[in-house]
Amino acid sequence: MMNPRGDGKKTMNLYQAPRNTKLRIVSILGGEGVRRRLFALGFHQNDFFEVDSQAILKGPLLVRNLSSDMSVAIGRGIALKILVEIVPDEK
Amino acid sequence: MRNSHPVVIFIGQPNCGKSTLFNAIAGYKAEVSNFPGTTVKHTHSIVNIEGSFLNVIDLPGTYSLNPSEPAEKVVLTHLFQERPDLIINVADASTLGRSLELTLELRELEYPMVVALNMVDLAERKGITIDSSQLEKTLGVQVIPTIATYGRGIKELLEAAFRCLDEGCPVSSPRWSKDVEEEIDHLVGEIPANFCVVANKRFTAIKLVEAGQQFCADFLEDVDSSLKETVDRVKETIEKKRSAPAYEVIAAERHHLALKISEQCSRVQRGRHLTWDKRLDSVLMHPVLGYPLLAAIFLAFFFFIFKIGNPLEGALLRPFSSLRSSLSGVLGSGLLFHLADGLLQGVGGGVAIVLPYLFPLLFLMAFLEDLGYLSRAGFLLDTFMHRIGLHGKSVSPFILGFGCNVPAILSTRTLESRRDRMITSLLIPFIPCSARTTIILALVAFYLGPLWALGFYIFNILIVAGIGRILTFFFKTPSPGLILEIPSLKLPSLGNMFRKTYFQLKSFLIFAWPILIGGSIALSVFQFLSLDRLFNALVSPLVVYGLGLPRELGVTLIFGFLRKELSLVMMLQALGVDYTSLLTVISREQIVIFTAFVSFFIPCLSTFAVLWKEVGKKVAFLSAGLSVATALLISLIIRLIV
Repeated sequence: MMNPRGDGKKTMNLYQAPRNTKLRIVSILGGEGVRRRLFALGFHQNDFFEVDSQAILKGPLLVRNLSSDMSVAIGRGIALKILVEIVPDEK
Repeated sequence: MRNSHPVVIFIGQPNCGKSTLFNAIAGYKAEVSNFPGTTVKHTHSIVNIEGSFLNVIDLPGTYSLNPSEPAEKVVLTHLFQERPDLIINVADASTLGRSLELTLELRELEYPMVVALNMVDLAERKGITIDSSQLEKTLGVQVIPTIATYGRGIKELLEAAFRCLDEGCPVSSPRWSKDVEEEIDHLVGEIPANFCVVANKRFTAIKLVEAGQQFCADFLEDVDSSLKETVDRVKETIEKKRSAPAYEVIAAERHHLALKISEQCSRVQRGRHLTWDKRLDSVLMHPVLGYPLLAAIFLAFFFFIFKIGNPLEGALLRPFSSLRSSLSGVLGSGLLFHLADGLLQGVGGGVAIVLPYLFPLLFLMAFLEDLGYLSRAGFLLDTFMHRIGLHGKSVSPFILGFGCNVPAILSTRTLESRRDRMITSLLIPFIPCSARTTIILALVAFYLGPLWALGFYIFNILIVAGIGRILTFFFKTPSPGLILEIPSLKLPSLGNMFRKTYFQLKSFLIFAWPILIGGSIALSVFQFLSLDRLFNALVSPLVVYGLGLPRELGVTLIFGFLRKELSLVMMLQALGVDYTSLLTVISREQIVIFTAFVSFFIPCLSTFAVLWKEVGKKVAFLSAGLSVATALLISLIIRLIV
């Protein structure tokens, strides 16, 4: 799926995103409840973060916010509602 | 409770060390751990600091002032109904960007405030150095760096608090981007003079836009329909300008301002070197290794308790049994002997049977809590929890349930949906708490061997899973899904572990032990008056024909409702034997059936009361009914098999 801004970057849901790669939140789908809970834990649109690990059997993702260095476990259902894109390496 | 002393409240996000800081000031009153949501109700204390009294209140952690969990709502009550004289905002220095979001929101209240920048040591370990005087200037609020665990910065924090209380410390609300500011300003101008304002007009206006259903939205139309129209218009304009819901725009304003301030005031040297906690975490939360480790940790937990408790039990029981045999020689067999015997059984049961297992259990539990393992277990077990209709956030309450079901049920307040709270609260009474662990270890492990006890434990967990599975058929709405903060691992401090263990042992000694002693004396008197036969006859169809147990045990099952250990202590008394000669009157099979029945048959009185209070009368009775049915079914099945 192409980014809505049309800048050629590919968006994917968080569950499909590669591990240990800098990602940016493009948008958060889903209802108000989920969005509010994610905001409360410091996950907003345009934030940068990495997926560090994933539990077995379609388990939750361990996600680390790169600006606040905070780790949050996000279940599969919610991860599917978070659209992200890969941020190219600065080097 | 409100009195003439200045009210100082501690507010911060979950797991930022509020309670540790509170304890450092007020003495050990609030429970502290390393998982978000340890404090689910407020703790208050009057402290005397060099002759000046303060009424300090520790509140549950809250991510924002728009609560989504019941525990967070407690915070709003205190902020709005009992307007504090001073707020001490505890901010976690190691996650400054996020902590400042709440600080900014608290500034909107314009109440006197001091920021305790806590865990600066952890921040430094992560390579973050914060310029606190720069932060102080930017926020316009006094900022005091602290390390609550070691008591560092407490004196300076109290000095700042008194300065603020004595001289006043005006706090101003932060300003946002111009386009949002214009709208908020407009709404502030529209709030009528007689409108019920919370804190100040600007804060009220922001909450009217942001908080949705939670902030008088339901009845705003009835109170002031023109204001409702203005609020809706302002929301619409903001949404048009930013192409996002108004609540999201305001959350994003705070978020970006917090990140900006955090970047301005801190220097980050994030090397690629791995600190011990990151290295340990990569194993603990490893998608493959994490699971055998989880199993190993719980096995070790179980065996440690047994290895410490078992020899201690044997050693402590000896003096009590010799004292008992000499007692009959001195006092004969009259009422006096029965009273003394009951007293001895109750005292001995508490000291020699319960404490040897309770102490190591509480101590090891404190270790796991303080290390921060509970949230990690939540991450690993989320998938399995989905099979019983819950998610990983319920794991912490379940694990706490192994200690005591009461705080476990209280901790379900950190779950967002009522459905999850109901299912978790219904399942917790099936988790073998310390009292039942004592029974399992003191009976099953002692007489049949530790492997039997382990098997019993595993069987118990399977029962919890099975009942959970059945409950999901009745609660069809899906769970809201897992979003769980994973706190940094912390090396548990021995002092805190001992204090926490002592704190809980004290509550056993003050609350449960007297019940054990009273129950034993009551049984003794009943036996003297032959009243126990009446009880036993009443329940004998169940006890003798249903469960295949000796008739004398009927009375002990009834008393088990008060405290589960009481059934064990009374069992020996009712059968009239010594602990070591138990097998002469009861078979190994009967021990297993008795343990199974006592474990499941009804939540103890305290658990029942807390269920009633937390999730309602219906759920409390449902839980009791479910327990009785499960206990009967399982005991009968065991009887048929063995």
